[in-house]
Amino acid sequence: MVSNRVYISSSSMLKVSRYFTKSYKELALDVVTEIFRCVDGGLDSVDYVVVSNVFSDSILDQLDISTVLNQELGLVPKPSLRVETGESSGLSAVIHAYALIKSGLASSVLVLGVEKGSEFPTTVINKHITKFLDYEVESIYDFALVNEAALLMKLYMKKYNHRREDLSTWSIKMHENAIKNPYAQLRFSVSAEQVVNSQIISEPLRLLDAFPVGDGASALLLTSKEDLIQSDDPIEIIAGYQATSLPLNLRDDLLELPASKSLFYRALSECGLKLDDAVIEVHDSYSIFGYLAIESLGLVERGKAPEAIKDLNMVNLSGGLKARGHPIGATGVYQVSEVFKILTDGLGDLRRDATWGLIHSMSAIDNNSSVVVLKRCS
Amino acid sequence: MKLSIPKYWRRRFDYYSVIIAECLDCGKKTYPRKHICPYCKSRNVRAITSAGIGEVIAYTISYFRVEGSEEHIPKIVALIKLDDGPILIGELVDLDLSELREGLRVEAVLRKIRTDDPGGLIYYGVKFRPLMK
Ligand SMILES: [Zn+2]
Repeated sequence: MVSNRVYISSSSMLKVSRYFTKSYKELALDVVTEIFRCVDGGLDSVDYVVVSNVFSDSILDQLDISTVLNQELGLVPKPSLRVETGESSGLSAVIHAYALIKSGLASSVLVLGVEKGSEFPTTVINKHITKFLDYEVESIYDFALVNEAALLMKLYMKKYNHRREDLSTWSIKMHENAIKNPYAQLRFSVSAEQVVNSQIISEPLRLLDAFPVGDGASALLLTSKEDLIQSDDPIEIIAGYQATSLPLNLRDDLLELPASKSLFYRALSECGLKLDDAVIEVHDSYSIFGYLAIESLGLVERGKAPEAIKDLNMVNLSGGLKARGHPIGATGVYQVSEVFKILTDGLGDLRRDATWGLIHSMSAIDNNSSVVVLKRCS
Repeated sequence: MKLSIPKYWRRRFDYYSVIIAECLDCGKKTYPRKHICPYCKSRNVRAITSAGIGEVIAYTISYFRVEGSEEHIPKIVALIKLDDGPILIGELVDLDLSELREGLRVEAVLRKIRTDDPGGLIYYGVKFRPLMK
């Protein structure tokens, strides 16, 4: 059986922000309208809708959200479903859409990531965010992902002999990158001094080591149809890989991301991806995860990421979760949308001629992880 | 009543003590106990009640505000290596911040973890305090 090739036809996104006057339906409408403004006949050609949203039940009081969105967006009677794998939901949705086309079950799929993070005060959102861990074991005690991130910072600083301020480089770099991304939530620079003096969340982790809460929506049109491809220089999805890990406390090496590491290895060995000819987005909800991700990728030696990130100019050009923002279920869709734009028409003024795109997402600390590989076809 | 009584009650032994699983095939131990060894996939596992004594590998003082437990701030969350079991994540209680250090010897102790709506049930679970000599 010959499987279909899967191309990105177009992408759209909203600036990650707090949209107090707009509902999730209106955020979705904006990005879907933009997709079909760009692609003639795109709407008719869509034969599947994959929605990524994490907090539909807990924040929006809504189940079967993909049907409600279809009804709202003029997409009835197209089939739709919602994908949820915690924080990696967005990239899981992209991979699910890719698989539908690859297998021949669909020829064009609309991927829609949407999340409303700012409908409630922070303590309520924090409550929902603790749910990424095992409720019976961790969340019932109110242990949160940020606590685990803080513990990893401690282990990392001890093992590699880093000072607290050494671990501010990620935030500095991400904020610097976000200034060039018109869709980023935090478009301002920060200094090492500001990072280490910001509000303590779970020491040694501070506010400026963490992603901001925000709303967002992003859409992608994936297709195997050549007439829906916008450019002579199309971007193809070459691979989508997914894996799960044991919880942090049961891992042999707490400073490695076992699932992500295996996915990165596959991307490098099976796709022939060249890191020096790639635009890379990694999951950095807390800056320590950014360091661990680029070390698990093999881009830098273990323990060296805090110094190395200063000179890496192909990692998280969007500003990452740290500064672009992390509209939970939409984040993975944003990452792919951004890399697609950077490789084609530009994300704002940000353009790269790289051959490859590598996108990484994970839920909690590598619990459910995904990697997507994009390739320029020319 | 926001909390489900049966959901909590059926796991009461796991909340009132530290129960781990030992794999009789590969020898690895897991917390919490599982029916299937996550390392070698064997079902030949047995539950053991741990003595609940261990050592702090790393700790963090948390100010993260979660709805319903804001009064419980700051709290100390630690990675604890059990003497007779694996690493687990636990909350440290009954100690002065000046005592807090890596390598601190700790023991499991029963403490309140949640209270339901006013007049509702109180839920207990295991936390860790400095080991009494
Ligand atoms: Zn075993």
